[in-house]
This record gives sequence, structure tokens and C-alpha cells, in this order.
Amino acid sequence: MQRAAAAVERLRADGIYLAPVRHHSPACALAVGALVEEVRPAVVLVEGPEEYGRLLPALLDPRTRPPVAVLSLGTEGGGAGFYPLAEFSPEWVALRTGSRLGAEVAFVDLSWVARAGDERSGDAPGRGVPDDGASVEDAPGGADDAPGADDDAFARTLQSERNLAHSRTIAAVAERLGCRDHDEVWDHLFEARTSERLADWRELFDDVFAWAGLARLDYEEEVLDADGSLAREALMSARVAEHRARVEGPVVVVTGAFHTLALVEALTGAPEGEAVVRRRPAGGYGPPTSADAWLIRYDHERLDGLRGYGAGMPSPGFYERLWAAHREPGGPSALGTSLLVDVAAEATARGAQVSLAEIASAAEQATRLADLRERPWPGRTDLLDALTSCFVKDDGGLDVGIGRPLGQAVAEVFGGRALGEVPPGTASPPLVQRARERAEELRLVVTDSTPRRTRLDARRTPRHRERRAFLALMDFVGSGFAHQVSGPDHVAGRGMGLLIEEWEYAWTPLVEASLVELSHQGATLEAVAVHRLHRLEHELATTGRSALGVARLVAQAVVAGLSEHLDRLVALLRSTLDVDPSLESVVGGLHRLVDLWDARVELGLEDHADDLLDLLDHGLATVAYLVPGLGAVDADAEPAAVGTLVALRDLLREAGRATPAPVPDGGAHPRGDAPPPGGALTRTTGRAEPVLRELARLREDRGAAPGVRGALVALAATEDALDDDVLVAEVRAQLSPGADPVAVVRFLGGLLRVAPDLLLHTPELFDAVHTGLRDLDGDAFLAVLPDLRRAFTWLKPAETHRLAQQVATRTGSRAERIDVHLAATEQDLRAGLALERELAAMLTRDGLGAWGFGASRHTPANPLSDQENQP
Amino acid sequence: MVTTPPTSASTHDEASALDRGPAQEIRPPAEVRFADELAVLEAADRAKGSELPPGWRLSPRAVRAFVVGDAELGVRRKFYGDDPLVDRAVVSLLGRQGLMLVGEPGTAKSMLSELLAAAVSGTSNLTVQGTAGTTEDHVRYSWNYALLIAEGPSERSLVPSAVQQAMSAGKVVRFEEITRCAPEIQDTLVSILSEKQLMIPELGSEARVSARPGFNVLATANLKDRGVHEMSAALKRRFNFETIKPLTDRQFEIDLIEAQLTAELGPASERPPLARDVLDVLVTAFQDLRAGATSNGAPVKRPETVMSTAEAVNVAVAASLEARYLGDGTVTPAEVARQLAGVASKGDEEDARRLRHYVDNVVRERARRDPRWKSFLSAAESLWQ
Repeated sequence: MQRAAAAVERLRADGIYLAPVRHHSPACALAVGALVEEVRPAVVLVEGPEEYGRLLPALLDPRTRPPVAVLSLGTEGGGAGFYPLAEFSPEWVALRTGSRLGAEVAFVDLSWVARAGDERSGDAPGRGVPDDGASVEDAPGGADDAPGADDDAFARTLQSERNLAHSRTIAAVAERLGCRDHDEVWDHLFEARTSERLADWRELFDDVFAWAGLARLDYEEEVLDADGSLAREALMSARVAEHRARVEGPVVVVTGAFHTLALVEALTGAPEGEAVVRRRPAGGYGPPTSADAWLIRYDHERLDGLRGYGAGMPSPGFYERLWAAHREPGGPSALGTSLLVDVAAEATARGAQVSLAEIASAAEQATRLADLRERPWPGRTDLLDALTSCFVKDDGGLDVGIGRPLGQAVAEVFGGRALGEVPPGTASPPLVQRARERAEELRLVVTDSTPRRTRLDARRTPRHRERRAFLALMDFVGSGFAHQVSGPDHVAGRGMGLLIEEWEYAWTPLVEASLVELSHQGATLEAVAVHRLHRLEHELATTGRSALGVARLVAQAVVAGLSEHLDRLVALLRSTLDVDPSLESVVGGLHRLVDLWDARVELGLEDHADDLLDLLDHGLATVAYLVPGLGAVDADAEPAAVGTLVALRDLLREAGRATPAPVPDGGAHPRGDAPPPGGALTRTTGRAEPVLRELARLREDRGAAPGVRGALVALAATEDALDDDVLVAEVRAQLSPGADPVAVVRFLGGLLRVAPDLLLHTPELFDAVHTGLRDLDGDAFLAVLPDLRRAFTWLKPAETHRLAQQVATRTGSRAERIDVHLAATEQDLRAGLALERELAAMLTRDGLGAWGFGASRHTPANPLSDQENQP
Repeated sequence: MVTTPPTSASTHDEASALDRGPAQEIRPPAEVRFADELAVLEAADRAKGSELPPGWRLSPRAVRAFVVGDAELGVRRKFYGDDPLVDRAVVSLLGRQGLMLVGEPGTAKSMLSELLAAAVSGTSNLTVQGTAGTTEDHVRYSWNYALLIAEGPSERSLVPSAVQQAMSAGKVVRFEEITRCAPEIQDTLVSILSEKQLMIPELGSEARVSARPGFNVLATANLKDRGVHEMSAALKRRFNFETIKPLTDRQFEIDLIEAQLTAELGPASERPPLARDVLDVLVTAFQDLRAGATSNGAPVKRPETVMSTAEAVNVAVAASLEARYLGDGTVTPAEVARQLAGVASKGDEEDARRLRHYVDNVVRERARRDPRWKSFLSAAESLWQ
């Protein structure tokens, strides 16, 4: 390392100023600025694909405001990459300051097209050491990822510091310094320097050089070769040498610190540099490669390592403030307090209560922590620790979630929310063109903006499936291009029996505008969709606990052809199922799941079929857990609960159909026990067993809501889990004399809703109900009449007629007399009956009861009892 | 037993009379056990000329080193898992706020509190052991009633609490299990923490004990266990909270359970054999239920009951006894399942539901592949049918 340090000095004497930086480090940005101001270079070289030279006019345009990014696409649209620039990025400062002082600026890294292959192979799981100083980030969900390369697109963009993060040396340094990770080590060693000290670029760059050099020594040549570092360093060193030979004045070279040692060795001809130098082609590199690239707006959200996008440092919001603080009179020492105040304000705005005293004590805590950790002012971790100590009054920490306003406030302030600007007229990215071409390929008419309809038979025609996937994808990203009009809708779970679906679409200027707007989210439709998918997932994971919501998202993703993300979505659904407190939503979500399984061939889900079934098993366990909750519903919620039970019955029937491919040992039923109770629907599988067990327990629970019990009794009877005599005994017990009439009617309501025809087909049941209702007290009968009427509406008209006949037979009346439709409203009837009774009472009081007797015979309070009394 | 080691601030004759010397103690306090390390750190502070906060025996950095270790000085690491938490705790003790260590039972809250008190004040014995029966006297002061009747209120007849002693000596007082005390007793601390003085009206309107520099309150609490009380917002405001997370190292837990079994039932040769893989089932079930997720991420509903290592030991002991007296002398997963059901549900219907869900969701799946879990499943199912 000492030899290398001497070599750095020699290069400086030769007019080559190497600036080893950490991407998005305010400290490095400050030092780069000081370096460029001091040496007034003739040329500033920046690590970044050579083809970006074409974008320099746009990058240097005064209207361009970071965060922005350069978007690169690999061959065939695959391997998209982003090169983000924040206000506090050393590269940005080098470009702007250099050009302001009249220096020539150029990018000197290997073209993205040439690199893409290396990046990918370096990223393969298990290789462990992908590129470090890469300032080009893989696009989240680069469209044509090889399946399985890495489903979590966000994790893959965390590459820019991975060599440093994984370095054993830096881990040891962290341990010694009491730092939790390499980010804190960096902050501790470099960001905690004063503005004045950072202006001494020699000191900073020498230290950064040593720091990264030590990390570099942890890696072997094969590893660096495999991840493409050596090839890039070969080109970069060659370009630096070319520029050195070409111009008179000083040359400033801004690269990731990890590469600087290699550049030094290659440029000074040290023996260690041989590995890099011999990778240069014999005839030189020739003129810079040219390739397409686009300048686009970027935002902090995608710059934040902590929020998962990982282009560089965590908490860009914090570093943006740090950068700003360096240029203010007080310097960064006052930054902490203002940040704590802002967090408190954000938290208060979200409903937390933070007092001034708490802010003061947090500021004090942060200062003391910085003191303990030997830092001049509170750094990022000190502030976060102070917030944890002073603002958190429970055991949830700084979690971001429902009811965690403080965590959300911290995420907001430390994450930042800046959105960049690019000059108007900047070439629009290829997303629009691609979408249009794809539409034309699928023979959708996009030559004018007239709305058109297309009818698709996706179940039988593969070509239609492709078309549907494209339309659904365009719909999903929010382009406003297409929407489904009719036919089977997997997302809403409607029309599943239909074959033909119909979509309406139109290529309007608004569609183009929204695609341009979406370009910063991804280079291809798929990438944008993945971005949206991640966002929706995140929302669902943090703000909602609805299994149905997640299941709908799964269906959306599948229909839009994003099946490669299914594993992650299935995992989310799995965890959501577990926290979803609503049986209705769980059952709904599982319905979606079964529907997807049914359509697995059409949707190309054969590979995931078993995952879906696993998830179904898991979901049914959750259902079993939630079923007892139904017993506690009140009268108002009872109809919904019974509805859920009906949905659950349908689900169990469908789930009974869904069986995995037969396994060698002869059956899907995992255990050799006797078949579970519950009838035909579950005989093929044991997965419903826990649910049936809980349903049976609830059915026998006398304290459960009567409507729910009625529904459960009917459910068991129709599924042959309950013998008729048990059923009748149960109903008799429920309707026994003296029973609460309201409970009786609720019970009947549940029973009739689930299985209205039971009443017709089981004479003993009919008798029990008949007797029960007949024995009701007249007042009570009146009170429950509306609910009773509603309960009987679950019968179909033909069934009502048959029931009327049975009643007539039993009471000796004529069916036509009962099965009539009276044009009187319920209120009329009620008022009439009340008047009648009042009159009868008046007559009785006046000793004229005999008159009233005759009248009341024809309009009795209880029609059933009257009919029985008729001669 | 009240012990008053030489370093203690206690000046009470009654206490000294009970002192039978450290040699006979089952577990001497931290400042005795680690006296050598404390001496080394003190010497290092002097050598470096580190600034000591008023009332502190060691510099904050040395306190930190005492807890998380310092290889160069030969100081062992005593607390694992969360170094930034130790930083925050040390700094909180420097400030006006008290320090509240919260977490589930068995997360070494009390140990950390003891270590910090020993390092900061040189004694960990100024301690209020909170229970439901703790009264205001334990927190403020009480009287020697014989003297009180004979002489009336005087400094001689006053029996100071640990809190009062810590105030006048400028030391850290520990308040263990503060949430087990009734809220109104907890709130006695509110004015002590904000005004840093304790009024003694019985000795005259001006009589008070003022806290000297170095005084602070280090409380431990359990927020979720059964039988704990709420903490008032006023009290919460006067504390910085630090949450200690449970250990997740299963091997460590298995070793711990084996050691405890040996302590309770004798060496392995004399107790019913409990195979390593059966113990593994037990620890896995406990870790799943404690963490609310299995090791491969499948979510589990966490019971209200605290699934601490101590409970796991209870289950292991009970399963061993069942195997000896009711079974064939070998502990199988079935015994574990039966005992676990009793321990984990504690008769609570809601917890029983959560356990059923665990069995339905996780155990059933594992039982397809693993005979141990199959045995667990069949025993567990019979309980709930």
C-alpha cells in the first residue's frame, strides 16, 4: 500500500489526479469540487459508460436538476441499467464544476452493452462478489431477466458497494470501531469530517484510497475478472493514458475507490497492474463506443439503499441535507437538531405526540452518542439511535407500519423525496416505441385514437392469450390504453364460467404521455409493471392486511404475464393470510387462488400449481383459525357471516377438486387415517380437515350466534356430515317452546340461506319448523315477522310454491290461499293487524268480546295457528 | 438475604448484620464477579486521562467496553447481539432521562442492568425489586417504628429506600420489574426523576434529599407479560426506552435446556433419555411460537403466553417426568406435544386457538416428512378434538 501511495504521488506530479470516491458521498463530492477548483484540469474523466458522452449537453444543461439518471439498455432490451446522479454525487460535481471551469469532460468506462453480460454473470447467486464501484445499476426487474437469476430485482440493485460491504477487512474495521456495518464505518471515517478538512482533497483521497485498497486486497484476480472489474479497469486506465498524452493541463479522474488501486498500478506500470494491462486489446481501444442512452428524471425513493433500490448510500434525504449543511456557515454540526425537529414535525403531522422537551433530549442524546463514538457531530446512526432512545416508548422500534407514525416520519425525512428535472425536449425513452411496436405485432390498431373492441378466446387460442397479457399489462401499469369490458375476470373473480372476453382499447396521446411519465420507472413495460407491482406489494404489506387484496394482485400479475414474480407474491400472500383478521377476505383470497389453479394451463402456471396448492393448505389452516370468530358476531353482522360460510362451503367444494398430481404412495391424503368427516367434497383430500373440525366445534357451541349455527347445521346436513334425525333434533331443540323468538328466526334465517331446500325434502324438519312457528306467541310472531319473511325469500319461486302446498296439506287449507302475492306493504299489514287487535281489545273491554271473536277468526295474529283451527 | 459488599453505599447496621460474606453467595453481584475487569478499566481510564462524568466510576467508553468487551484490555464480552443498544443505554444514563430496558423474560434485561450499574456506580445492589406488593415506602423511605415512637421523626429513625440512598450517593438505582408494581407506585418516580429531589415533610417543610450527580434510575420492565400493569404517559416521558430482543441461537438454547435439565433431574444417565432430536423438536416449536414465524419464514400466530427459554425448560422437565412415570421411560415428541399444549395455552382459549393453528399450519406440513413431527402431531391432535 505504501508503494501505491508513492505511485499516486508520482501520478500527481505527472498531472494525473486520481479521485477515488464513494458514489453519492457528500464528503467525496466536496473534495472533488475542491480538487477541480484547485488544479483547474484540462480534462475531467468520470467513471461511466463511454457512450454517455453523447448526453453531456443535456447533463450540463442548466435546467437539469438532480436526481437524474442515465438509462442504458442492453441488447434486445435486456439488462437495462440506471446511472443515477444526485446533487451530492462526486460524479455530478466533477461534471458540473469541470465544465464550468472550461475543462473537457468525458466518460471513460466500458460501454453498458459490453458490460451487461459480465454484470449478469457476476450477479449469479453464489458468486458473491459482483462489481463494486459500478455506478450503473441494474434496472429493477430488467425486462428479460433469465428466470430465476434473481427474482428480487431490488436486492440486485444493491451492488454499488457490495465489494466493500463484503470485504473481510472492512468487517474487521467495523468491529474494532464499534460500527454496525460498512455504511457506518464510512460515515465514521469520512463523512464525519468538517467542511474545512474535506476541502483538503489530498488527505481525504489518500485516506479513501487506503480504505478501498485494503478492501481490494481481499479479492482474488479470478473474482475480479469474473465480475468484469478487470476489463473495465483495462479500458479506464488506457483512456486515462490517452487523455494524458493528448492534452497539456492536468487530468482529473473520478472513479469508484475500489478501482483506483488498479488504475494506479496499471498507469505506473507496477507488476501488480499486469493483470489489468494484459487485458487491453493489442491494437488499442479505438474511438469510444457509441450506444443509445437516455437521460431521465430520478427520485430519492429509488436512490435509497434502505428502501431497497440501493444505488449507493442509504438515506439519501439525510445526505442531501448533509451536503447542503457543508455549504452553510454553521457547517454540519447543527444538522442533527434541525433533522430531529423535522422528524418530530413529520411524526406530529402523522398523529404522534412529540414534545419540545423530547426533541431537546434527543438532540442531547445524539450529541452524547457522537461523543461516545468519537465523532465531531451526530452522524446518521447517532441520530437514528437518539430517535430510538428518546422518541420510542414501546418495543416496536422505528418500524414503518400501521400506527407507527414515528417510523414513517423517519423514513420520510431520512429517505427524502426529491424528484429531478430534465430539460424539455430531451429524447424520450424507448418505452413508448416498444409498447407501440408490441401492439402492432399483436395486430391491435394503434394508428388512430379511436376506441376499439377485441374479443378474445384466451382459453383456447394461444395468440389471444398473448394479446390479453399485453392488454392487461398496459392496463396494469396505468397507461390508460385498455380495459376489460366483459368475460372471465380473474382479478375480480367474475364470469369465471365464460369463455370469451372482450377488451376495449385506444392509442391516445394520453397513453403516450403516461408512458413517457412512466419511463423513469423502467425501460420496458415489464420493468415498469414490476416497479408498480413492488409498490403495490409494499403498500399491501405495510398498510393493509387483506388477503383478498393480495390475491387480487397475484391474479393481476399473472394475467399481465408477470408470473416470474409469483414466488415472491405467493410469499406475500402467505404472510398476509396469516395476519388477515377477516374470514371473509381470507375465503375470498383463497377463491381467487383456486380460480387461478383452475386456469393454470391457460395462464401458464403449471410450474406453480403445487405452490398454489400449498398456499391453499396454508390458507385453510388460517380459515380454521378464524372460523370460531364467526360464533361471536352480533345480529347485524350475522347475514355477512352466513354469507361467508356459504362462500366457504363453495371454497371447500372447489378445494376438494384441486388435488396435486398423484404421488407414488397412492394418494393426496397425507395420513393413513380414516377419511375425515365432511362428506364427498373433502374425501379426496385432508386439507379441509382442520376447517371441518372447527366448523363442527362451532356448530356444537350453544353460545354461538344462532344464525351462524343454523347455517352450520344446514351446511353439515347438505354435506352428509349430519344425519337427518340429528338435524331434526337440533332444529327442535332450537325451536323448543320458550325459545327466544329472535334467536329462532335468526337460526332459521341461517339455515334457509344455506340450504333452503332442506325444508322441502326433510318432512321431519318441516314438522319441527311448523310446530316451532305455530307455537310462537302472537306478539313475538309479529315482531319477528319481517325477518322471518326475509328468511323464506331464499327459496326459489317454485320451491315457495311447493312449500305452500305442504303447508296447505298440513293445515288443511288450500295452497292457493297461502301462496298468494298480496300487494300490501309490510307496514300496511302490520298497521292492519295492530288495528285489528286494538279493536278486539276494545270490544272485549266493552263486554262485546263475542263480536270480536268472530272477526278475529278471519284475521288472526298467527296465520299458521289459525289455519290449524279452521274447521 | 441482603448483602453489603465493601463497595456498597449502604450505611445500615441492620444490613451489615445480615452480611455473611461473598464466599457463601450463590451468585455474587457483578461488581464482585468482575472486580478485576472493573479495576483494569479504571486503570485504563486513568492512564488515558479520560474524563469521567460527575459521579461515575468509569468513563462512558469504559462502561461500554465492560459490557461488550475489549480484547486489548482482556475484558470479556458479557452481552451479545446489539452493540448500538449498549451505546444508547450508556448515553441515556448520562442524561436527565431514566433508562428503561424492556423486553420479554429471559432476554438478559436484568443482567444488562446489573452490569451497567456496577460499571457506572460501582454497585448493582441499590435495587428495588418490583412486585405487586411494592409500596411507596420501598421507593421513597420508611421508618424504624420503634425509634419513631420513641424519638419522633428524625434522621435516625428514617429508613432510606434504595432510591434515596442512590440519590444522596450519586449512584444508579435499579428498579427491577417496574411494571409489576401498581401504576400509582410506579408514578412515585415521576417527580423524583423530574425534580431530582425527594421531599421528607415529616422532618420539616424544608427537609429534602437532593440527588447528587451520577444519580439515575435504571428500570427493567416487561410490557406484554401477564399480570403487568400499564405505565403512565408521565412516567414513560421520563424514560428512554430500549428494547432487548430475545436470543435466536437455537444451539445455545438447546445447550441451556440440557444444562437446566441436569440441574433439575440429575445427570443424563439418571433421567429419562431425551434425545437430541426430540429436544430439537421442542426448541424448534418454542422458537417458532416465540418469533411468530418458522425458520423458513412461514408465519405462526404468537401466543400471549411468553415462550421463554425458562418455559421450554419446564416443558422438558414435565415431559421427562411424564415419560418416567406414565410412559415407557423415553421422552418422545408426543410427551413434548402434550406438555407444550399445557404450558403454552395456560388454559387460555385464544392461545389454544393459536396453538391449533400452529399445529394445523406448520406441524401438519412437517409431519408429512418427519416421523418426529408426526408423533408430535398425533399427540397434539388428540388434545383438541
